[in-house]
Amino acid sequence: MIKFERVSKLYPGGSRALADVSFTIERGSMVFLTGHSGAGKSTLLRLVMMLERASRGQVIVNDRNLSQSPDRLAPIVRRNTGMIFQDHKLLKDKTVADNVALPLMIAGLKYADIRKRVRAALDKVGLLDKEKAWPLTLSGGEQQRVGIARAIVSMPPLLLADEPTGNLDPILSRELFGLFEQISEQGATVLIASHDLDLIRRMGKRVLVLSAGRLADDIPASDG
Amino acid sequence: MNMHLWPRQLRRKNRAWVRRHSYSFFSSLGVLLQHRIGTLMTVLVLGIAMFLPLGLYMTLDNLEGMNLRQDEWSAVTVFYKSGTTQAEVERVADELQKSSDPKVVTIISPSEGMAEFREASGFGKSLDMLDENPLPWVMQVSPQPGPTEQVEKQVEALMGFLQSIDSVEVTQFDYKWLQRLGRMMELGKAAVSALILLFGLAVVVVVANTIRLDVASHAEEIEILALVGAGNAFVRQPFLYTGLWYGLMGSVLALALLSLTMLYLGRPLGLLLETYGTAFNLHGLGFSDTLWVLLGGAILGWSGAWISVQRYLRRLKVGGRLGRQ
Repeated sequence: MIKFERVSKLYPGGSRALADVSFTIERGSMVFLTGHSGAGKSTLLRLVMMLERASRGQVIVNDRNLSQSPDRLAPIVRRNTGMIFQDHKLLKDKTVADNVALPLMIAGLKYADIRKRVRAALDKVGLLDKEKAWPLTLSGGEQQRVGIARAIVSMPPLLLADEPTGNLDPILSRELFGLFEQISEQGATVLIASHDLDLIRRMGKRVLVLSAGRLADDIPASDG
Repeated sequence: MNMHLWPRQLRRKNRAWVRRHSYSFFSSLGVLLQHRIGTLMTVLVLGIAMFLPLGLYMTLDNLEGMNLRQDEWSAVTVFYKSGTTQAEVERVADELQKSSDPKVVTIISPSEGMAEFREASGFGKSLDMLDENPLPWVMQVSPQPGPTEQVEKQVEALMGFLQSIDSVEVTQFDYKWLQRLGRMMELGKAAVSALILLFGLAVVVVVANTIRLDVASHAEEIEILALVGAGNAFVRQPFLYTGLWYGLMGSVLALALLSLTMLYLGRPLGLLLETYGTAFNLHGLGFSDTLWVLLGGAILGWSGAWISVQRYLRRLKVGGRLGRQ
């Protein structure tokens, strides 16, 4: 699903975010990405989202070589990728339902279908009763779950999460990772950047460890 | 092999396009109504900017309708020498009728002239004291109404012919005035075109600036939209529709101002012109002109918005990379 071939990323000014990173993530698997802050986790996710371009090497996502795709394909790449952000990135002047509906609006679905799928997504994250609420009236954990509902509402084959548990307490974090596991079991590829090592270890999934822009370790899944 | 599939796919794409547009169309209107004061001020500026050239245009249009009645203005009045016989006058009239250009010839005999004068002047009693009628035979020749240049040529030929006749004492005509007025109208029309261009530009600039601020205040929203897969078109649409609404509302306001002005000025203007003996009916813009104003306003608003949004999107590269955060 995701394949990095000797990928390097240099930012203008010379700072090196990724250096010679290669790995492959299979379709339908759940993988964690960890490392200190500044190790290159966010940059790696941004490359997969086509928010950045690799300075060197090939980034191949869903059989599409992003390094060779023109900029105008970026929206299509992003429509096939659900992304969850640490700071949620919700629209404050739109209700929870409207926020979740956004990717479907962009795809131009029928209103009736949008309503149905938004409700299904909110149901999955346990926020069906908050449909009409405003994002700022929700707790941090609830806002994060709204973000997840938005990421999964169009049922993308790939789900990315950048520090999704950054502001959450351990119990909520556990719940959230459980939710990601469920989603991956339904066939989506899930890649989660996190530095919550304790929790990652307990999940027993494959872990990619970045250190100063290099792939320092690749720990295989421990569960059967 | 998939040929039979693509029409359906295309239809589905079209439907999605329509849905996206209708979403932007109504959401942009909703946003404008939310920020009433700001919208009102922008629309007021736009309305006044559009009202000025429209007002001048309508003024000229009315002047044209009132004054360029060529049948009155282009008539040549011919005064015969005293002592000319009726037969001679009728001979000239006949000859005129026979010539190629169609025209209306009215003969006024001295006695008819006297009767008219008596009625109009109020000198009835004093005129009775005259031994004989001092008025000459008079003839009015009106050329066929038509394009100004054609009438000009006809009047010139007519003058040439009349001046060659011995029994004609004086010819008199108001055509020079008509000509001058015509030239002034042309100047006025050129001024209207220049004003429309200038104020049209002003409308574009005002909308562009308003939308620029609007876009800047939605920077966060635009970034989020781009992150969840919106392309340039989707980001652009609501702003373009906002611009369209601005332009449309500006046009409506300008038209309303125009109607108000007509109501306000119509009566005093009519009274003034009555003293000149001109029956005057102030008329507003016609149906097609009104449509053009609405369409023009909408297009100008849309263009202004396009300029601002496009500049912003190019900087941001929504379609591609968002740049470093």
